[in-house]
Amino acid sequence: MKTTMTALTLVLTASPLLAGKAEVLTTYADIAQAGYEDSLMKARALNDAVDALLADPSAETLAAARSAWLEARVPYQQTEVYRFGNAIVDDWEGKVNAWPLDEGLIDYVDAAYGGATDENAYADLNVVASSSFTLSGETVDAAQITPALLEETLHEADAVEANVATGYHAIEFLLWGQDLNGTAPGAGERPWSDYAEGQACTNGNCDRRGDYLKAATELLVSDLEWMTAQWAEGGAARDTLMADEDAGIVAMLTGMGSLSYGEQAGERMKLGVMLNDPEEEHDCFSDNTHNSHYYDGLGIRNVYFGEYVRIDGSTVSGESLSSLVAAADPAVDNALRADLNATMIELGQIKAAAEAGFAYDQMLERGNDAGEALILSAVDALVTQTRGIERAVTALGLDQIAFEGSDSLDAPNAVFQ
Amino acid sequence: MRHLSLVACLAALLAGPATAGTDDALDRHVLPAMETFAEETADLSRTAAAGCGAEALRPAYHAAFDAWMGISHLRFGPLETGGRALAIGFWPDTRGFVARSVNGLLQDADPVVSDPEGFAEVSVAGRGLFALERLLFEGDEVLADDSYACAYIRAVATDLARTGQALQADWSDHAALMRSAGEDGNTVYLSPREAEQALYTALITGLEFTGDQRLGRPLGTFDRPRPTRAEARRSGRSLRNVGLSLEALRGLARSLSDVPIPQTEAAFADALSVAEGLDDPVLADPAGRLKVEILQQRVELVKTAVAAEIGAALGLSTGFNATDGD
Repeated sequence: MKTTMTALTLVLTASPLLAGKAEVLTTYADIAQAGYEDSLMKARALNDAVDALLADPSAETLAAARSAWLEARVPYQQTEVYRFGNAIVDDWEGKVNAWPLDEGLIDYVDAAYGGATDENAYADLNVVASSSFTLSGETVDAAQITPALLEETLHEADAVEANVATGYHAIEFLLWGQDLNGTAPGAGERPWSDYAEGQACTNGNCDRRGDYLKAATELLVSDLEWMTAQWAEGGAARDTLMADEDAGIVAMLTGMGSLSYGEQAGERMKLGVMLNDPEEEHDCFSDNTHNSHYYDGLGIRNVYFGEYVRIDGSTVSGESLSSLVAAADPAVDNALRADLNATMIELGQIKAAAEAGFAYDQMLERGNDAGEALILSAVDALVTQTRGIERAVTALGLDQIAFEGSDSLDAPNAVFQ
Repeated sequence: MRHLSLVACLAALLAGPATAGTDDALDRHVLPAMETFAEETADLSRTAAAGCGAEALRPAYHAAFDAWMGISHLRFGPLETGGRALAIGFWPDTRGFVARSVNGLLQDADPVVSDPEGFAEVSVAGRGLFALERLLFEGDEVLADDSYACAYIRAVATDLARTGQALQADWSDHAALMRSAGEDGNTVYLSPREAEQALYTALITGLEFTGDQRLGRPLGTFDRPRPTRAEARRSGRSLRNVGLSLEALRGLARSLSDVPIPQTEAAFADALSVAEGLDDPVLADPAGRLKVEILQQRVELVKTAVAAEIGAALGLSTGFNATDGD
């Protein structure tokens, strides 16, 4: 009898559920718009801080620019969950947040960095020191370091993804420099005098380094302006999302699941532990990885709970994916909410330890059991929540819909002709 | 098509706990393949203990690598625990970690190689089949049994054998977990469908990996082929790995389906025959590029057939997998 009742309830609630999807998607798009707009405002503040650094290089102005970068990461990381479900974001984000990078492409590096590799012939190109060079057989005039040079010529040069010339991590490298402390405490220690004028300039080419930093920061601002517009009313990202409600909900869940499992749990966290390599931390120059992971996790939670706290403390919220799943299967919703909260506790513990002085790269050291346990328990929590996300997909009946969108099912015989 | 899918879905529901696919996949595919991997890595370890001559070690390395191709697609449960898949076969290695780790240990003559427990903590890039490949195919042909490199080779072989044994043991527990999917107390697989979905996801992901990575990485683009990115090119196994992985995936597909799968069978046979017709062991011959591209397309068609024939029939879709993301 109970089963019949449940089935009946499902049938009866079928149409209100359909109506709810549009509102859930609106909340999702509103959070995206607010997140990118917050990221844009923080990038503009970073741009101002870079201007101040270049106008009057000093330890203080460099420190202020670093602070602005750290603040800028908080809203941006919360938008990463939008990547995997939305093609328009995924196609764009490489310019803004590509990682890992062979930083020798950009500026001087320590001798231990090594030179070109099997995979990347330009791993030690050092654009800051080279006003002209050969790239994939063509001579490049780099006398002027401009946003166009970075974006059109250097970024992913030679089709190598590790040639990251733009975005947050290129800027991070220019502000902090390489972290040469290995798995010992400490972040990158680039001296402010790397931007000094005349005799005070350290490591050479300070003016070109400053030009690079300025160009990269300007690009970040313009890229974020563009993405913010895509999520506004009438923007391409919002319109695409709203065009097909079921596909939109699938996009939300795909973004959550792909970031949770393959990207964050796997590529960014577990791999670092398995390699014991301090460069395998996401924000490796600044030692900000604990925050990077934390705000990635929070972004996933934001999408499900339909709630985002902006940089001014105000809240964007609305009908949530959680309520949609609860209407279909309360047990699945309860479990997933609990999973997402459990992940935030695990990521919070990493953040707490790191802020108390046990940096993320120290956690990666070979044989560091405490660090490994901290990271792997967060990995486990992310994997667990991924299973919960899959159950939400099933509960909403969306796995079949995703199926029907593929060629193989729409035209099963076509592919064998 | 919507109606047909719905019918398939209802049929699956009405059939109740249909674990035939899971049982068969475990008994006919997963467990035998794990046993083979455990045996071959144990044999590799014994061979290394007897001496470090390349003549004896290379065949044992190849046999262990062959066995790895039989299980490398089963990236869930025991193979994911503790990063075992990475510790056995760290590839693709996009940033040269294997070279750096192996050379680092060699240069430092790191004493960790004489301590199996400590060696299990070494970077995955310095362990497993790809580290061994560097040691056996790039170093000296003749290694003294008391050399550091020989001690390192033995440590890698011992570590692989230990992992093989642990995998086999853990899989007997994990198989029980999959068979009891949906029963009270099973918090991993809440329904028989979830166990089937895990196997099905492994099948689809494995096909994608072989197509996009094993074939796609060395192909690169027409203007910029990337022969140095072929899997296990130093030991000349790149194409062999493609064939073996397809055979393993065919075994999984066959065992997962309760009914005949003629389209899938035809697609696998087609892909395997293209692979056999290739005379390009490391996928580096510019003249053979077109054939490699054809092979890649054939693998894609296998995936399409599997989705239509097995996925749709079982009402299964692909879950999230470890290679989602960048």
